[in-house]
Amino acid sequence: MIEVSGLSKRYGTFTAVRDLSFTVQPGEVLGLVGPNGAGKTSTLRSLAGIIPANAGRIHIGGVDLAADPVGAKRQLAFFPDEPRLFDYLTVRQHLNFVARIYGVADYATLAQPLLEELEIADKADQLPGELSRGMKQKLAIACGLLHSPSVMFFDEPLTGLDPLGIRRMKDSILSRARAGAAIVLSSHLLHLLEEVCSHVLILKKGEKIAHGTLAEISAQFAQGETGVSLEEIFIRATGGSEN
Amino acid sequence: MLGALLYLRLTSLKNITLSRLRRLKQPKYFLGALAGIAYIYFIFYRQLSGGSTALAGLPAGLSEGLAPTFDLTATLSVFGALVLLVIVLFTWALPKEKPGLPFSEAEIAFLFPAPISRRRLIHFRLLGAQIRILFSAVIFTLISRGWSFLGGGALTHVLGWWLILTTLNLHFTGAALTINRHIDNGANPAIRRWLILAGVALLLLVSVLSISNAAPPFPEGNIGPTDFFSWLARSMDRGVLYWLLIPGKLVIAPFLAANSAEFFRTVGPAALILIGHYCWVARQETSFEEASIAYAEKRAARLARLEDGTYRLGQDKVKVRREPFSLRVPGRAEVAFLWKNLLGTLPYFHARVWLGCALLTCVTVPWIVGGEHQKTGASIIITLTAIFFAYTLLLGPQLARQDLRSDLPHADILKTYPLAGWQIILGEILTPIAILTGLLWLNLLALVLALSPMADKIAWLTPSFRLTASLCIGAVIPVLCALQLLIPNAAALLFPAWFQATRQRSGGIDVMGQRLIFVFGQFLVILLSLFPAVLGAALVIFASQWLIGASAAVVLGTLVALTILGAEVACGLWWLGERFEKFDLATELRP
Repeated sequence: MIEVSGLSKRYGTFTAVRDLSFTVQPGEVLGLVGPNGAGKTSTLRSLAGIIPANAGRIHIGGVDLAADPVGAKRQLAFFPDEPRLFDYLTVRQHLNFVARIYGVADYATLAQPLLEELEIADKADQLPGELSRGMKQKLAIACGLLHSPSVMFFDEPLTGLDPLGIRRMKDSILSRARAGAAIVLSSHLLHLLEEVCSHVLILKKGEKIAHGTLAEISAQFAQGETGVSLEEIFIRATGGSEN
Repeated sequence: MLGALLYLRLTSLKNITLSRLRRLKQPKYFLGALAGIAYIYFIFYRQLSGGSTALAGLPAGLSEGLAPTFDLTATLSVFGALVLLVIVLFTWALPKEKPGLPFSEAEIAFLFPAPISRRRLIHFRLLGAQIRILFSAVIFTLISRGWSFLGGGALTHVLGWWLILTTLNLHFTGAALTINRHIDNGANPAIRRWLILAGVALLLLVSVLSISNAAPPFPEGNIGPTDFFSWLARSMDRGVLYWLLIPGKLVIAPFLAANSAEFFRTVGPAALILIGHYCWVARQETSFEEASIAYAEKRAARLARLEDGTYRLGQDKVKVRREPFSLRVPGRAEVAFLWKNLLGTLPYFHARVWLGCALLTCVTVPWIVGGEHQKTGASIIITLTAIFFAYTLLLGPQLARQDLRSDLPHADILKTYPLAGWQIILGEILTPIAILTGLLWLNLLALVLALSPMADKIAWLTPSFRLTASLCIGAVIPVLCALQLLIPNAAALLFPAWFQATRQRSGGIDVMGQRLIFVFGQFLVILLSLFPAVLGAALVIFASQWLIGASAAVVLGTLVALTILGAEVACGLWWLGERFEKFDLATELRP
């Protein structure tokens, strides 16, 4: 479970995220949406412990991220928009390295089914440079899932994927949520929210505009109209501009 | 058409210069420029303006020793020609596939589809190279003016360097075009390469045989390194090599000319070789486009990796490597970083290679220092190991970058790991510690073995004391390396914008100055860090040797030094770890 209260993140005088609070229960998928510069990536990076928040508290699986970052990070996985892989490690060596970092003792028995599920088992001895963009993304996911995290953060998870890759990524997110993971993802793609997210949080200029289930958000901005598209709701919620 | 191409070159040069001048508004570049200018003034310009009297550039003792017995110009001529010969042979032997002419990706995109003939493109390449060659000639002249025993003036040196570099550049271009033509005509690249390598091997064999048959007698008595190299040059300048070195000697001769008259006498043959090369290049009508595109793509990828810190020398193409050791799970997470970063280094950094080198050192050094000319051999080994030791210790941490500096682009991912900051820093620096320690241990081994015959004659340097002292120095080395490596890693974390700037491939006097500031800062900090350890160890050794003997005192002193250095490393790791946990690359690099 993810609990966020009063989160703020500043870069110098610029405030990227302001007093943000929300909760994601196990099995829920929260979609972070908003125009460019709304603070989605800063929020995700603060939640994953990559950048220190300036104010507020973050609990990952009941562990305070500021007080016990190591304990909190054991329970989470972060998937950046671009897979960040080590050029000199093969697929199998990536998993070996991550297993040692997270102390996954039985990684050999976990890794093979994971590679097969992600359809990269036959690439186990290849370097990232020999893999396609989609394969790299799968390897990054395999590394993130190896320690069976209960909390996951996806930053623009569909970037650079082909239609088949998009379908598989959506299925993968949903199956992890059904298995009890609390998931937060950021995306510009509204159809992803419709298909994957149970909840949506709309950000603008670092502030929360709306938060709730898709039905709640639709009701809030449809203003009594019926058949209003999610795109229209998004435009109404954000005022149709970045500013 | 060439006018347009020249316009492109000159406009690019002007814009680069202006952008470099504009960035001086930023303090990091301004301070770097000041440091760079100061360095050039004190190291080069003062020598240039100080005149060039014979042997003035040498230390007094060395110049006195050299003047009567040693013809350095003749020796340099042979070694210089040999270097050129090796470069030329490599130029022909190395390409595994069609070598491309070095065009940038932008030049390819604009010029290759343009209505420009191949010959004009080749001339564009040659003209473009001239800007770099002229700049290099000036820089090399500034450096070589320190060797004022060469004679000649600044102008003859610039022209001399220009002749050497232009001839080489023309040779590279001509060789690339010729190899392209041969491959286009159906020559098998592998067979071509093996034929050349076989020819080189045959040449080497014939040269070695002719040298061994007709080498001049080795100088009698105790000789220094200069006499040894003079003898080596005279030995090589015979038989087949004598003839093969002639073109190189002719090309180098104007640079080595003692005065203007000699320069004008030697410049004719050198110019003829240059013109011959130009004619060879200019009359070729060979397809080079495909190879040039592949070359440009490879170069762009290499530069990108260089700038993001993932480039490894000699590893243009990343290959799967044998694991340095088996990474068992579970275990200390820090070791996983050592394992990962060792996989990213050159394959030579492997325990078996280290052991092989140690065995080789144990066999060859005693053989050299125990031979007929033991003092000469020992002095050469001691000089070389001492220089290498100092360079490895001082510059090694700047060169061995398989640590956080290489992994900064992965900082986001590293920070999601369930590890304390100090664990990540420790894990990251383990690989360069291992590499530098290995090099320094080998060096120490060679030094100790080379000093053995001399040490035998000193009563208090007993074998057991020498062994104890060597082991104590060996024990301090890894901790010293750790301390050294903390400094550049701290610099990368504390001044990421500066650090990123020093990784730019597009250098300049300001970036050079920034690198100098980094090196100087490292030197200063290491001196301050070493002071308490050296002082503590010295006091303990001085106070205890009367009571417990020299060997035990050295061990005790080493323990004190290790404790102090270890505490410094621990504090450094803890502090850097804290810093890493709060580190935000996005914020740090924000202008």
